Amino acid sequence: MRISHNGPSFWQTVDESFASLRLVGRRSILALLGISVGCASVVALLNIGHNATSEAIKAFKGLGTNTVIVSLSTQPNVRRLAPVTIDAPALKVAVQQIRYIAPIIIYPNKVRHSGRGADVIVVGSTPDLSSVLGLTISQGRNLSEYDAHSTFALAGVGIAKELGLRIGSRLQIEGYLFEIVGIIDHHLANPMFPIAPDSAILVPMKSMRRLMPSPEISSLVTQVTDSDHVQQAAESLKIYLASTIPTRTIDVQIPEQLLEGLKKQTNAFSYLLAGLGGISLLVGGVGIMNIMLTNVAERRREIGIRAALGARQRDIRDLFLVEATVLSTAGAIVGALAGLVVSYAFVKISGWTFSLSLPSVPLAILSSFCIGVLFGLYPALSAARLPLVRALRDD
Amino acid sequence: MSVEDSVISLRNIAHTYSLGGADLPILRDVSLNIDRGESCAIVGASGSGKSTLLNILGLLDRQTSGSYLLNGQNTADLNDDQRAAFRNNYIGFVFQAFHLLPRLNTVDNVALPLLYRGLKRNEARQEAKEQLEKVGLADRLQHYPADLSGGQRQRVAIARALVGKPSLVLADEPTGNLDSDTAQSILSLLLKLNSDDHVTLILVTHDDSLARQLGRYIKVASGALIEDTSEQTDERRYLR
Repeated sequence: MRISHNGPSFWQTVDESFASLRLVGRRSILALLGISVGCASVVALLNIGHNATSEAIKAFKGLGTNTVIVSLSTQPNVRRLAPVTIDAPALKVAVQQIRYIAPIIIYPNKVRHSGRGADVIVVGSTPDLSSVLGLTISQGRNLSEYDAHSTFALAGVGIAKELGLRIGSRLQIEGYLFEIVGIIDHHLANPMFPIAPDSAILVPMKSMRRLMPSPEISSLVTQVTDSDHVQQAAESLKIYLASTIPTRTIDVQIPEQLLEGLKKQTNAFSYLLAGLGGISLLVGGVGIMNIMLTNVAERRREIGIRAALGARQRDIRDLFLVEATVLSTAGAIVGALAGLVVSYAFVKISGWTFSLSLPSVPLAILSSFCIGVLFGLYPALSAARLPLVRALRDD
Repeated sequence: MSVEDSVISLRNIAHTYSLGGADLPILRDVSLNIDRGESCAIVGASGSGKSTLLNILGLLDRQTSGSYLLNGQNTADLNDDQRAAFRNNYIGFVFQAFHLLPRLNTVDNVALPLLYRGLKRNEARQEAKEQLEKVGLADRLQHYPADLSGGQRQRVAIARALVGKPSLVLADEPTGNLDSDTAQSILSLLLKLNSDDHVTLILVTHDDSLARQLGRYIKVASGALIEDTSEQTDERRYLR
């Protein structure tokens, strides 16, 4: 006598699991809901994190992807000073990509105006500074080349308000009176820039000599002509400056590096959110386990019958495992759609533009699937190992 | 007839339950030969061990000691998967409570053992239909168990037991839940299939009048077998 015993095909098992899930009805909907909520939160949180990241990066890029910041720091055992001026035209010839370059001398000081005093950063620079930082003048005029030796000054909108400065006000810095010729409009602080224009007083670089015994350039801000060549420009700028200013260590910073840091930070944030989603997915898995255990307990006799008719342990296991997987996969698909809707709504309400985080959907569905298999395995194995005689007796 | 021709050959079978540390003997030293095509009634009081005997015969339970040869194969050598395959191929079960799956219709209930054999669904359904015709349920193919009477349900169960062309049908009080008229018709059906298809039939029952209609009459008492051969002839044993 020939024995043939291959067990039912995969699709027959899937078909059976659909039938039995339909029979369980409302309870399987509840288990499905649990996994849906988990999957939805993974998708939603990943997408929201992704959109928050791209939004932050976009804001950052808007403030100048073609900016290079050079900082000059003292070297140990070098006593000689940094130069007070820089030969900007020569530099522009040496490094072709540079459109504007502004040296910065920083001098924190106490300033006075009509009886009020304040601690401010006095910044000595050239007119190029406005172009590099994108400063706009709300009242009065900008400083020009012809003001180089004058005692004219620009005031940031913040400090102007604090000290009640207007055009023509005379501001006392050290022993000198500087005349305010312009007020700088509100300017968003950029973490890349060495100064915050809102709370600064800008004076022509050469007049810094009046205020300080030995002024030194602490940094240079430059704008390059083409944002594609920032890296290249930064390199050649560094080489050029290192040769012309041997007394200082030259560090160049480009937005790319800062963006990298920002990306890392926001990625960590995204992972945190996804972790939260993962936890709710896990809770959904517990729901699956719960319904499957109830299912197995209620169908002990069916398990016994199937075994008597020739189902192997693995056939019984597969029956319940496929059921759990069908349940979690259906929940995952519903959840992924819900998660997309939620994150889309959130992004729109925040006034951002929505961009889909591509890996989020397959990632969430795959992990829901795994959760289903993982949490369905124990009930399925306990069904497969049910003692036959007892299972058949169960009424 | 020799042992090789036997469908069932039990040698010194014992079965003991461990209950709270104490060993409770259910069967002790049971030996039995049943040949191909025989029909055999097993009677006995509740707790006599006849259900355990049937479970061992049906490969649902394992004996504590002794050997059981099914179709000449020592069942002690079989692993769980092989035992499942043996149940599927060689044994048909008929239960007292019918044990049909409520969410499957008549045809799918009968086709189920064939699916576990690896048949395609359509082939399995076709064979199930033919088997249902044999038990007189050709007009109930799409019904669900809940829509059938007790007698009809048991006919479906018998069709399911026979659809895989087993060499052995084990019926555990198949008429226990039926009225006496229906019980008689179910037994007649089983006996007819036994003689037509040459299927070995083992039937556990409480009803002495039913038991006497089978070829052999074996009584289980306190875990041992006593065979009543008073009315037995070779002709009766095989009911040709």
